[in-house]
Amino acid sequence: MTENEYSLRFLNCELNYLSVTDGSAIFMQGDTAVIAGVYGPVESKLHKMFYNKANVEASFRPMKGPPSVNDRLMESYIKDVCEASLITSLYPASSISVNIQELEDCGGLLASVINASCLALINSGLAMKFIFAAVCCMIDKESENVIIDPNMKQLNNAKAAFTCVFDNLNKDIICCQTSGRFTEKELLKSIEMCRETVQTIFTFYRDIVTKYATAI
Amino acid sequence: MEAKAEKIVMPGDIIKDTQLLNKKQKIILGPGLRTDGETVYACKAGILKHRSNVFYVDNFQKRYIPSQGENVVGIVTQKAGDIYKVDIGASEQASLSYLAFEGSSKKNRPNIQIGDIVYAKLLVASKDMEPEIVCVDSFGKKGKLGVLSTNGMLFTCSLSLVRKILKPNCPLLRLLSDELKYELAVGINGKIWIKSKTSVEDTIAVANAILAAEYTVPSEFPQLCDSIMKSLVKLK
Amino acid sequence: MESQYKTIHPAKYLRDHFASNIRPDGREFMSFRPVSVCVGSITKADGSALVKIGNTTVVCGIKAELACPKAESPDCGFIVPNVELAPLSSPKFRPGPPSEESQCISKLIEKILINSEAIDLKSLCIHKDKLAWVLYCDIISLDYDGSVIDACTTSLMAALKILTLPTVDYTPETGSIKIDKKNRIHIPLKQLAICTTFAIFDNQLLITDPTEDEEKHSLSTINIVFNEDDMCFVHKSGGIPVSQNLFSTCIIKAKNHGNQVRKLILAAVNCKT
Repeated sequence: MTENEYSLRFLNCELNYLSVTDGSAIFMQGDTAVIAGVYGPVESKLHKMFYNKANVEASFRPMKGPPSVNDRLMESYIKDVCEASLITSLYPASSISVNIQELEDCGGLLASVINASCLALINSGLAMKFIFAAVCCMIDKESENVIIDPNMKQLNNAKAAFTCVFDNLNKDIICCQTSGRFTEKELLKSIEMCRETVQTIFTFYRDIVTKYATAI
Repeated sequence: MEAKAEKIVMPGDIIKDTQLLNKKQKIILGPGLRTDGETVYACKAGILKHRSNVFYVDNFQKRYIPSQGENVVGIVTQKAGDIYKVDIGASEQASLSYLAFEGSSKKNRPNIQIGDIVYAKLLVASKDMEPEIVCVDSFGKKGKLGVLSTNGMLFTCSLSLVRKILKPNCPLLRLLSDELKYELAVGINGKIWIKSKTSVEDTIAVANAILAAEYTVPSEFPQLCDSIMKSLVKLK
Repeated sequence: MESQYKTIHPAKYLRDHFASNIRPDGREFMSFRPVSVCVGSITKADGSALVKIGNTTVVCGIKAELACPKAESPDCGFIVPNVELAPLSSPKFRPGPPSEESQCISKLIEKILINSEAIDLKSLCIHKDKLAWVLYCDIISLDYDGSVIDACTTSLMAALKILTLPTVDYTPETGSIKIDKKNRIHIPLKQLAICTTFAIFDNQLLITDPTEDEEKHSLSTINIVFNEDDMCFVHKSGGIPVSQNLFSTCIIKAKNHGNQVRKLILAAVNCKT
């Protein structure tokens, strides 16, 4: 394994990018860019209210056009991952909404969306059990090698692609999404490689927070 | 991940410093920290602060979560029977009884209109209940609390900025008062009300100085005040 | 007494069962409910199947129509799976436009179908750029008692397996279409993808094939889909983090269960034909 195989595309982020939201982030991973904004806790609609925890909502807007059925699955990933990390019992009868706007998709959109929503949640100051980070990887059709964080060009040659989300406590798997066909061995190896890489993103988060905390 | 005081912590980090203290000593965990059994975890991202046996995380936040005893600035949005509804920037509107003013009684109601700005103290604040604010202390005296005059200016900023300028050793407000005459009510909920005795320009200058302080270190506050004053002189 | 306890403390009721190493319906943690498959249950449909997993009942009917292929893929037909969670199947569903949940399940089923490469879309094409089959696969839940994705996938695969299409005679010069409804052909189904659902509770307790009550109180669910010799979909949308070991356990279990259900479908189809 060379070091290069574990490296991610260039990461860039600006926190508190939007003025009105309670927490926001613009996040770039290679050329894939998304904006995330978090509102919460805010007053909840009566029919969506839980008396013992906050209601977490997610909305995803694609680069062009109104959100379609295809984006529902994306929203369910965002919602379930955010809900897992937030301590929702601290904000009963309220609502937390995570809004994502896609700016550019050059591969690994789901991973970028998840990472952006984590940064927005960090920026919002909502209480969280842990933070999470997503890594995308793929298996090349010809060489059968695992490529971490592929771009669009590489993805076109993929036999299978995986997106895994890990927490920062034990690096356990929060979310896993796959496409294509693969064997059990390939899946487990890819997850293992993603896990090795995910620390880079957690370090990136810490650097970003350090940069902002010292400025304030 | 382990973390030490005055270090950056992220949600999920284990805080080890609390174990260094004497076992018999009580440890007080402030905002941003939680316990799971014996272990202390951070649940917000920011700087871990430590003063004797008190630990807390100083983090960036915009949304206000009500906490008992804090002084807040709010806008009256509704009159509903015996109570006023006040927007204090939290997830729910706070209620303010018309009896919670100095000298008010069933016959002598305070004269409060919708849109008025009040400076009040949180009497009840819990995650499960509607927050309740009052404009009197426990002796029935109003002190500094009450309705703020209508010809001031209200603006919103982040909660961390409010905490920064309210620190006892923060020189900003003192430096500003050397140059300008103004009245100020700072709510810990990120709402600040300002009224200058002299002119509108002065009011805006003070507001700008406070907003600019967000990304300025305290040692550079004198320069900040200077530049604000210079631009004010130019205007006049 | 038991039913009152269940109504008042549903979560504790479940936990107490788990503490004595049993599930409320008497199953062990890693056992499955009986699966039954009935193919060709809707005579008017081109292909259909009714699948029961314990109480969960799902019916799938496939309707074939002719259409013009898309310009970007002129030699491919279409498969449009649609899952409807009927109000009949559970009190939590209301009549009206499809809920978010049913949209998500539809999308998942579509992904499973595409990823498994069960059907070559090219085999649905009748004449390049002119005529192709569209398979509308309507999957309707009749009884919603957990692991509904498993039931949907199984019913869809069984229905595709038994699907026959009328032979079409197309003359491109005149554009005339002659349909011979008597003489029907099978579409080759290359794979039989089988989905297995797992639910996870406190302390990383893993159970297979959860019922609705178990699913509702679980901290997370995992769906793993197996083809005959490889995997084609893994779905865990969030919830409590799980360790890699637990993940491997799920994969092994899903593989075994997949093989059993696959045999069942083949047996059902063989009986019919």
